[in-house]
Amino acid sequence: MQQERTVSPADPSPMVVVEHLVKRFGSFNALSDVNLEVAKGEKIVLCGPSGSGKSTLIRCINHIEKHDSGRIVVDGIELTDRICDINNVRSEVGMVFQSFNLFPHLSVLENCMLAPMKVRGLAESEAHQRSMALLRKVRIHDQANKYPAQLSGGQQQRVAIARALCMQPKIMLFDEPTSALDPEMVKEVLETIVELAQDGMTMVCVTHEMGFAREVADRVVFMDRGSIVEEGDPSRFFRAPNTERAKAFLNQIIH
Amino acid sequence: MNSLDFSIVVQAWPYLWSGLLFSLSLTAAAFLVGMFLGTLFALVQHFELRILSQLVRSYVALMRSIPLILVLFWFFFLVPIVLGHLSGNGRPVPVGATYTAFITFGLFEAAYYSEIIRVGLRAVNKGQFEACQALALSTFDTYRHVVLPQVFRVASPIILSQTIILFQDTSLVYVLSLTDLLGAASKLAQLNGRLVEMYLAVAVVYLMIGCAASQFVASLRRKYAIAGARR
Repeated sequence: MQQERTVSPADPSPMVVVEHLVKRFGSFNALSDVNLEVAKGEKIVLCGPSGSGKSTLIRCINHIEKHDSGRIVVDGIELTDRICDINNVRSEVGMVFQSFNLFPHLSVLENCMLAPMKVRGLAESEAHQRSMALLRKVRIHDQANKYPAQLSGGQQQRVAIARALCMQPKIMLFDEPTSALDPEMVKEVLETIVELAQDGMTMVCVTHEMGFAREVADRVVFMDRGSIVEEGDPSRFFRAPNTERAKAFLNQIIH
Repeated sequence: MNSLDFSIVVQAWPYLWSGLLFSLSLTAAAFLVGMFLGTLFALVQHFELRILSQLVRSYVALMRSIPLILVLFWFFFLVPIVLGHLSGNGRPVPVGATYTAFITFGLFEAAYYSEIIRVGLRAVNKGQFEACQALALSTFDTYRHVVLPQVFRVASPIILSQTIILFQDTSLVYVLSLTDLLGAASKLAQLNGRLVEMYLAVAVVYLMIGCAASQFVASLRRKYAIAGARR
C-alpha cells in the first residue's frame, strides 16, 4: 500500500505533476502537451473558454478520463493502467462535480459514510462520527437524515464537498462547482470552498467566478484549445493578461 | 342452469388452496431465481463481456421468442434425455414434473427480468458512476450499493408487472399434469358442472392477489421513494 517517498523538508515534492499530457476524443485533441505542477497546499484556479480542456485536465488527474500519453503523478504515485494505482490515486483525490452527483437513494449521512466504510474500512461508528463532523463543517449537519432531492442545489453541493472530504483527500478537484446553481446559492458554496482553502487544502478549481479566484487562488491557469496559454498571479492576470487570447476571454466574461 | 351456488366453492376450498399454494411457491421461486440470473445476465451485457454477452443475448432472444408452454415441454422431454447421455448409460433420467416447472420458470423469467434490468442500468446517470470512481469505490461496491439499488427502484413497477404475469402464467403447468390454482378450479368445475361459480371465485382470488401485490410495491415506493430524485 504505502508508496516509498523521498520527502525531505527542504524539498517539498509537488502534490501533482502533469507532464506532456495528451488526451484525444476521436480526432479532437482535448489536451495537447499540457504540463502542470501543483505544490502541496497550493490553490489553482483553472479558467478558459468552454471546450478548452480544463474539465478534461482535472478529470484526467483522478483517471475519470484516461489520458492517451504523458505522465500524471499524484503524491508520488504514478497513474498507470493498473487498477491498484488508479484506486490509490483516487482515494487521495477528492472531486466535486458540477452536477453534484449525490446518490439519490441514500440519505445525506449515508452518502458521506459509504466510501469511508467500503474503501477505507472504517467502522460504522467511526464513519458516522467523521461524516457528522464534516457535515457540521459545511453547516448542513441538521439535514443529515434527509435525502438529496429534499435539499436545495447549494445544500446538495455542500454535501458533495463533505462527502469528498470524508475520504480525507490530500487534494480536492472542483469541476465548475457553482455552474449548475441558482445565483443566490453560489455564495454559500464558494464560502465553503474558501474555508477549505484557508485550512490549507491543496486544490484545483475550474471556475469562472473571478472574485473567488482573486480571493483564493495562488495561481490562475488559463487554458485554450487544449493547452495552457498563460498562468500567473491572479491579481496580475486579471488586471493585465499577457496574451491576446486571455484578454479576449476576460473581456467576454466581464461583459 | 340454476341460480348461482357458491357453497360448492367453500367445499372445494382446501383443494383450491393447495393449488394456490403451488402457484405462489412457483411464482416466488421463479421470481428469486429469475431476478438473480436476470441481474447477472444484465450485468454481463452491461460490462460488454465479449463472448459471454453474446451468449446471454442469444439466450434472451431464444427464450423470449418461444412460448413458455413449449419451453416447458422441451424441458420435460429433452432434459431427461440429455441427462441420460451425460450420465453415460444413455437411458433417460426423469427430472419430474415439479422440478421441471421450477427450473423452467426460473430460467424463462430470467430472460425477461434481465431485459428490464438491462434497460434500468442504462437509465442510471453517468454522473453516478463518476462519483463512485472519484470516491475510489470498487466496481463491486459501486454496483452493490449505488447502481443496482437505483435500478431496482426505478424498475420496480415493471418488475411487478412481469411478476404478476409470471403468477398468471403458472397456470400453464397443467401441461405437466401439475395442479395450480386455475387447474384446481377447472378440474372441480368439470367434475361438478359449476363452471361459473368456480371461475368467478378464482378470478376474485387472482384479483385480490394482483391488488395486494400492487399495494405492496406502492408501499415500498412510498417508503423508499422519498429518496426521490427522479433523474
